[in-house]
Amino acid sequence: MARYLLRRLNLFLATSFVLFIVLFIVTSHFPVEKSFALTGLHSPNAQQIEQIEKNYSLNDGQFSQFFSYLQQRLSGDLGISATSQRPVIEELASVLPASFELAAVSAMLALTLGIPLGVLASLSRHKITQHTIMAITLTGYSIPVFWLGLTLSLWFGVQLGWLPISGQLNLLYEIEPVTGFVLIDTLLSDSPYSTSAFIDALLHIILPAITLAVLPFTVVVRITRAAIITIMDQTYIKAAEARGLHTSRVVLRHALPNALIPVLKNLGLMLGPFASYAMVVEVIFAWPGVGAWLVSGIYQRDYTVIQGGVLAVALIIIFISIMIEVLYTAINPLSRKELYASN
Amino acid sequence: MPQIKIYQEDEIPSPMKKIWHSFSDNPFAFAGLWAVIGILLLSIFGPLIAPYAPEQQDPHALLLAPSWDPAGTVEHFLGTDDLGRDIFSRLLHGAHLTFGMALGIVVTALTLGFVIGAVAGMMKGLKSSILSHLLDALLSIPSLLMAILVVAVMGPGLNNVFWAVGLALTPQFVRSIHQAIHEELQKEYVTAAKLDGANPFQVFWYVIMPNVWDTVIIQTTLGISAAILDIAALGFLNLGAQAPSPEWGAMVSQGMDNLLTAPWTVTIPGIAILCSVLAINLVGDGLRSALSPINN
Repeated sequence: MARYLLRRLNLFLATSFVLFIVLFIVTSHFPVEKSFALTGLHSPNAQQIEQIEKNYSLNDGQFSQFFSYLQQRLSGDLGISATSQRPVIEELASVLPASFELAAVSAMLALTLGIPLGVLASLSRHKITQHTIMAITLTGYSIPVFWLGLTLSLWFGVQLGWLPISGQLNLLYEIEPVTGFVLIDTLLSDSPYSTSAFIDALLHIILPAITLAVLPFTVVVRITRAAIITIMDQTYIKAAEARGLHTSRVVLRHALPNALIPVLKNLGLMLGPFASYAMVVEVIFAWPGVGAWLVSGIYQRDYTVIQGGVLAVALIIIFISIMIEVLYTAINPLSRKELYASN
Repeated sequence: MPQIKIYQEDEIPSPMKKIWHSFSDNPFAFAGLWAVIGILLLSIFGPLIAPYAPEQQDPHALLLAPSWDPAGTVEHFLGTDDLGRDIFSRLLHGAHLTFGMALGIVVTALTLGFVIGAVAGMMKGLKSSILSHLLDALLSIPSLLMAILVVAVMGPGLNNVFWAVGLALTPQFVRSIHQAIHEELQKEYVTAAKLDGANPFQVFWYVIMPNVWDTVIIQTTLGISAAILDIAALGFLNLGAQAPSPEWGAMVSQGMDNLLTAPWTVTIPGIAILCSVLAINLVGDGLRSALSPINN
């Protein structure tokens, strides 16, 4: 196992390295001056120019430029944002928690609703129930997320007026950010209106979280259903049934743990589309997360923000997908057999 | 009169026929196939049957409701937008931008991905590992981030969507084809063919590929639906097709200004995207269950 973990760590470092190379090449192709693209300083004075040239080795060859670039980025210097003149890393730190909050709530929604529904769909013998569930999931899978977001906000936000449709929290509440997660901050806050602020934050997250949860939900339902159907035919399930166990026990105890393995694997594959969708959802619901920040960065051609955002999001996705892979191997002994045999 | 059977055994259908039978047994998949054919025809001949030009503005019919609404007229079947442009005509003109371009992107990405995936799958050891890990890095960049990078370098536009979505799709094809070939390579019938003296190309083309085609087909349908959604999402974010273009996602974003007064300018293009993606997914789903060996 240690050797395996080492190899995964190696993979993470190698992929991150490739990512840095890609970003370095892209940076040199931005249609602006290189020093501006690297630092975000629009009109640096003579001293700053000298500093930039020294930091990024701009007068040397491509290789030493790349290594200086790598050194600067790894030391946490992502330049400053051209529009707000604040360091990109600070802005990143303030927008990332909101994105994580949204993603976590949607993922929880998708898993807690998707897995039971997938089990139900696989066990039901009614053609109608099966077809309905499959039709719903297929529609959910095909729906364009921006359109779904607009439609939901039009119905529930504007016409019915039930839910707020933009932002994270009503501006009336002033909550001191501790963790950056508004749902937790409102609970931690000792202000007299912390409970009502928490309810308000909860109301704000409902629509974006539901919009974002539709894609993973449908995938989870379909994968769980397919996995349970395959597993229920296997002999160890028949053995469990022959022992006279109750169906619920057979499903929950014997079938479900094995069915969750393919679900986990597909969660890893779904990260990319999920991140894309999250960015669109953040734009629609004015959610102050990394996606909306990045999209406004591209509208303003804020090249340091674009680099910083792409770097952060891609690194996080690489990291999570490798973590999921490790988890998959850890809970699935069958896959460990192939570990040393292949690639 | 029913045909009299002289011999006892039934006709044994060929594998292709079997797949076709099990595909056409599924009414949903079959309906999806018809819908896909219909959309394909519309994206080729749509501009010919559209009643108006996509940019033609009718100043007397601004924000006209669809024809089934009491306020609508049948001249503008699906209503008009805030500049008096006929939505039905714009949808027809936009079909080849959204749907046709998705097909083009998938064909390009598939060809490229197939070649790289096949080479990587047939190779062993470090070379194969390097190829697949390089692509893992690309795969981890979501299509929207890739598009943002492309737009940052080349500026927004429909041509750049081609690069952005294509670059994001290719690694998926490479990965799935690589994995499928890699899995088949471990099996014993491949070893048998090798022992028979087949060279690597023969092993690849005549022994392995027949078992990988179904992966390729399924990935293609998945790729087309992902490409349509990506193109539309980029159009919606104004990073792809630009303002007067009748691309469906761009139409949604142009209708956003009038979302409250004229919701049909957003709803109708959205439903068009939903229907085309749904049709493709129905076909893909039908193909998947027809191709899976359990059903055969």
